[in-house]
Amino acid sequence: MFSWDANIKRVRELAESLTPATELLTFYETVLASQKQIYESLRGRRDWLPSGSLEADISVLREHAPSFLQSVLSVAPPALAEQAGVPDELLLEYWNNRSDKLFFPKAFLQPYAQWSVQSGALSRQSPAAENRCPYCFGKPQLSFLRVSEAGSESGNRHLLCATCLSSWEFRRVVCASCSEERPFKLEYFKSGEYDHVRIEACESCKQYIKGIDLTRLGLAVPLVDDMATAALDLWAAEKGYAKIELNLVGL
Amino acid sequence: MEVSRRTFIKTTIVGGAGVSVFGFSLGPIYAQARGLKIDRTTETRSTCPYCSVSCGVIIHTIGDKAKNVTPQVVHVEGDPDHPINRGTLCPKGSSLEQEIVNERRLLKPQVRRPGSDHWDDISWDDAFNEIGRWVKKTRDETFVEKDEKGLTVNRCEGIGWIGGCTDTNELNYLAVKTMRSMGVCYFETQARV
Repeated sequence: MFSWDANIKRVRELAESLTPATELLTFYETVLASQKQIYESLRGRRDWLPSGSLEADISVLREHAPSFLQSVLSVAPPALAEQAGVPDELLLEYWNNRSDKLFFPKAFLQPYAQWSVQSGALSRQSPAAENRCPYCFGKPQLSFLRVSEAGSESGNRHLLCATCLSSWEFRRVVCASCSEERPFKLEYFKSGEYDHVRIEACESCKQYIKGIDLTRLGLAVPLVDDMATAALDLWAAEKGYAKIELNLVGL
Repeated sequence: MEVSRRTFIKTTIVGGAGVSVFGFSLGPIYAQARGLKIDRTTETRSTCPYCSVSCGVIIHTIGDKAKNVTPQVVHVEGDPDHPINRGTLCPKGSSLEQEIVNERRLLKPQVRRPGSDHWDDISWDDAFNEIGRWVKKTRDETFVEKDEKGLTVNRCEGIGWIGGCTDTNELNYLAVKTMRSMGVCYFETQARV
């Protein structure tokens, strides 16, 4: 289950260790704190549960917009600040197209979407494609390996949803974008500096997803460790690979 | 203008100001990226060659696709998606990487003479000839044509044969056919430890 506290703790730890990604992580810490606030507020709301439909819930969500925007704007770079705003039409547009270039709707709706899943409003279904979230049909933000089977040392691959932050079990040795399965088309790029993180790339579609291996570092928190390894994203971009879903700092 | 995904990201990150899509300055991260030494691996699904449970494994190979670079196996783990073992492996399966790359693998025939404390190298031809002579001699001396009840059994009881579960089916098939045709009964091709 997604834990806001675990993410906040990890982002603080990594930001404090003063790496090149510190600026990104410090920004993300503010975003996470604000998102956690929205989540807890929605969850603590008396006599209200998400309905499963954004249109129906949007009026409740609106109440949280001012403090969220204020919080993010206090740390956002100018280019990002220009896009600031979460009007209804934009939220609905994001919900329909799930574009990773729309920072504000994506970040604003994540806590709501997560609570919708946790409360049962968005229940597990059989999506049309195995690389889509079974709760909200969102795209995968990242991939991570975690042991599911007692006695196994090998990690099962999971995908984490960019919209609602839920995770679902996926397969090894397959592209998370185009379903390519031929091993010689699938490549894994890793740097000695980050033993537990790799670029999982596909030669067929030239897209990649970041893979976090929790069997190599159990203390890693996928969303944060993806951001902390921004250098890998720059490397991948230079090699001509496109990330399936940009994260909240645009990498 | 319709901008492809790759172009969008490339121009905003790589092209110019070193600034991300959302305006974060990427200078220091860029510098870090330049200094990274990146290894390329592939993952291939395969089957453990040992016992008949046939657990799934994933073999990790390192190599940069250059034609004259031999890919090197660096890790073998259980295949978590395989329905038989779901990622678990027994001690033999867990050591498969060593079976592939360990420098102490035998690469040539060797012989240990009676009473000796070490192994001597022997050429393939000499090994064939010597083994052939020993097989003939042993078979001639130990062949049992009829058992104590008078039934024709045609057994060669003086020879035992150990095959190899990591050998191919083709090789083990030939071994079985050859040995059985000489009457050998003591036969093991699988180490079911």
